[in-house]
Amino acid sequence: MRRNRWVTIWAALLCVLLCGCAGSTDYSQQHTVALVVKSTQTEFWLSVFAGAEAAATEYNLNLTIIGPDTEEDYEAQNQMVADAVSAGAEAIVFSAIDYENNAAAIDAAAKEGAKIVAIDSNVASEAVSTYIGTDNYAAGQMAAQAALERVGGTLRIGIVNYDISSANGQEREQGALDVFSDSGRAEVVSVINTLAEASHAKRDTASLLTAHPEINVLLAFNEPTSVGAAQAVEQMGLSESVFLVGFDSNVATVDGLQEGSVDALVVQNPYAMGYLGVESAYRLLAGQAGEMERIVDTSTQIVDRSNLFEVDSQKVLFAFDSH
Amino acid sequence: MKGGVSRTGLRITTILVSIVVGVVTVILCCCILLFLNRYRSAMVQNALTTSSQAVSQVSNTVGNYLEDMEQAMSLVEWSILDNSDDRNQLLNAFLIFRPDVVAVTGYSPSGKLLDCWCLDREPREVIYQNLSFDLDRARASGGAYMTAPHVESIFEGYYPWVVTMTAPLESGNQTAWISLDLSFSSISSYINNVSIGQRGYCFLMDKEGNIVYHPQQQLLYAGLKSEDTTALAAFADGSYADDTVIYSVTSVVGSDWRVVGVSYVDELVNRSVSEMIRLSLVLGAALLAAAVLTSFLLSRLLARPLRGLADAMERFETDADQFTYRPVGGTREVQELSGSFEHMVLRIQRLMSTVREEEVNLRKTELKALQAQINPHFLYNTLDSIAWMCEQGRNTDAVKMIHALARLFRISISKGHELIPIAKEIEHAESYLQIQKYRYKNQFTYEFDVDPACLDYYCNKITLQPIIENAINHGLDLLVDEGCITVQVRQDGEDIVFNVRDNGVGMSDELIHSILEHGPKDRTGIGIRNVNDRLKIYFGKQYGLHITSEPDVGTCVEIRMPKIQEGDYEAK
Repeated sequence: MRRNRWVTIWAALLCVLLCGCAGSTDYSQQHTVALVVKSTQTEFWLSVFAGAEAAATEYNLNLTIIGPDTEEDYEAQNQMVADAVSAGAEAIVFSAIDYENNAAAIDAAAKEGAKIVAIDSNVASEAVSTYIGTDNYAAGQMAAQAALERVGGTLRIGIVNYDISSANGQEREQGALDVFSDSGRAEVVSVINTLAEASHAKRDTASLLTAHPEINVLLAFNEPTSVGAAQAVEQMGLSESVFLVGFDSNVATVDGLQEGSVDALVVQNPYAMGYLGVESAYRLLAGQAGEMERIVDTSTQIVDRSNLFEVDSQKVLFAFDSH
Repeated sequence: MKGGVSRTGLRITTILVSIVVGVVTVILCCCILLFLNRYRSAMVQNALTTSSQAVSQVSNTVGNYLEDMEQAMSLVEWSILDNSDDRNQLLNAFLIFRPDVVAVTGYSPSGKLLDCWCLDREPREVIYQNLSFDLDRARASGGAYMTAPHVESIFEGYYPWVVTMTAPLESGNQTAWISLDLSFSSISSYINNVSIGQRGYCFLMDKEGNIVYHPQQQLLYAGLKSEDTTALAAFADGSYADDTVIYSVTSVVGSDWRVVGVSYVDELVNRSVSEMIRLSLVLGAALLAAAVLTSFLLSRLLARPLRGLADAMERFETDADQFTYRPVGGTREVQELSGSFEHMVLRIQRLMSTVREEEVNLRKTELKALQAQINPHFLYNTLDSIAWMCEQGRNTDAVKMIHALARLFRISISKGHELIPIAKEIEHAESYLQIQKYRYKNQFTYEFDVDPACLDYYCNKITLQPIIENAINHGLDLLVDEGCITVQVRQDGEDIVFNVRDNGVGMSDELIHSILEHGPKDRTGIGIRNVNDRLKIYFGKQYGLHITSEPDVGTCVEIRMPKIQEGDYEAK
């Protein structure tokens, strides 16, 4: 019986050794990640893609980037999420057009086992592991603060916002409204919701300014509405009298900053959103979810004429790849 | 273990396997550790080389770019000195030929923009800020100088990243300075695409550690990533490895830019090292398994035959009679041992059977001797009784006595056979009882209760007579009342049991003991002990006599023997 015990001990030892060898992980496996965004057109999103692609290369991920034609089409987005999951995406980096109406599709994707990372604008789903983007409320406050610091007297404010169902726009608006009401010298004249597309925004801004000529401060809360608002202000010759605070970097708004139609830009960090979004997706897939934070704030910066061409602002405003 | 002897010491298998496995493990561990250590340092060296190669390549490319810019500048300088018509043509041709040149601008001594040559574009009427020309710097620097990458800011809706070279023109000219803006996108996309390993990258910084270009500029800016450029600026050109990161620094020839390569020990070294660890562990495990297996086989080869031999000895120890020896195979040494053991076993068995035969012979001789001298006293008394009967004219009784005596002797002799049919033995006992009954003047009665089925089996002769003699002498002789002797024969399974019962005074335990051990001293003849010994020698230890006695009630002697057919034991 003594012999049998020894045999058992040796066998167990060997087993432990062999198991230890077999238990290590395979490094070469490539994960599939889908980046589903609101639009594939604007410079903001192109910068997101640049960041996402950099991260995908760095972490050896198979990245697909898709987005609907317009920034209002949440149904197309839902379809894209479903398609991406059925095409084998293990993680979805998502920017929601509609905070409420995208939730079901995201929940369904999560039920299929996909990891969810939200960037730029969040969605009403428990499945979202982490949100990476601007602190939108703070960004709205920043925009309002910029106007208050640079305009004296009473501010009569017009707000050009985009889709009312987007969480981003509403949070930014709320931030701005709160700062204005605290200041005691600001009066919000009108809030309009237009389509996130420059020509629409331009038309709606023009009619806003026509209907309320007393407006001296205009806030636009994303890139296309900022471009549209800037065009409207310039066309109506109101560059001097209207103080326009826009969002994000676009050639048109940067031109506007130099020419006077735009007075300040709140610039987000889309590259970081794309990069960190994909990086977080990788971490989730690699089983490092425990180390991740629920909300990551990518930085936001105010650019106006005075710091437009400072080195840091240049790097924020102008992507290296665009010519 | 048999006899309660606990055996200390390890089995040969255990010792052998432990030693082999221990030695192999130690050697393997040493080898693996040594190998992995060497492998890791080789891998680190390799990673450093890879990293510095990548960085020097980037440095060359950037150097070429800057050199190229200087060449373009000299071409521009040369063109600009020409007269006005020719230089426009020349510069336009130059711009077509060199699409990477974004713009060429000329400035007056006071820093005013005089000319701008650019394909398809005109500068703004009001330039908010011209990043391509800095009057203070131009005045401060004696000759040509180069800027860090910046955005081209003199056009409308066109903001490419450029590097500007500004050079002074010979004095007396209307244009005092000339700036050449060269697109930076080729360099930036080149640097973006440089990868050292999976995640490594390059970036450009100047001598003071300010970042000139970084592929993840936006992350740095947002504070989501950081580079310790002040520490890096202090490094001389070369490669440096710490626990997690490898830095390679190379200066770009002809400028104050430096290329920094960042790569990760984890993916370049640790991954292949851990791969190697896995491989060597698998190999080590396989070797260990092989060693264990080999030592097992080896020890089986040695220990198994030895154990077989030990087992055989143990079996022999337990039951030497029934043991049959089977040779044990194995190595020659074991075979020799086995052979010797076989000799010994055979020898011992032969000796044992000799001893037993001698014992049987001894008892037979003893018996014969006893028979030969069967109690002359008994014979004298009997003959005396017969003579007395004749005198009294009791001829019939005398005749019966003589017959009984004759039967007694005849059966006692039985042609020298030891085993006789039970019927004969009963007859013998009866004759004896008859004679004794006459002699004791009918002081006792006797009766036989015999299972007829038993009569044909055999038994040792003169088995009952000593018992009956004992019953008369020790039981009935002293009895006042009339005694009674009952002889009962019956079957008990495979055995036959004789019972001789009397109602005499009984015997003490000491007496029973001494009768069985030493035989009666006071009487000649075949003692009870002799009967018992013969039964045990013939049939085994489980057979023989069993005496139970109770004072004043009687004694019962039970004789047990196996059923024996004619001829079964004659050989003995």
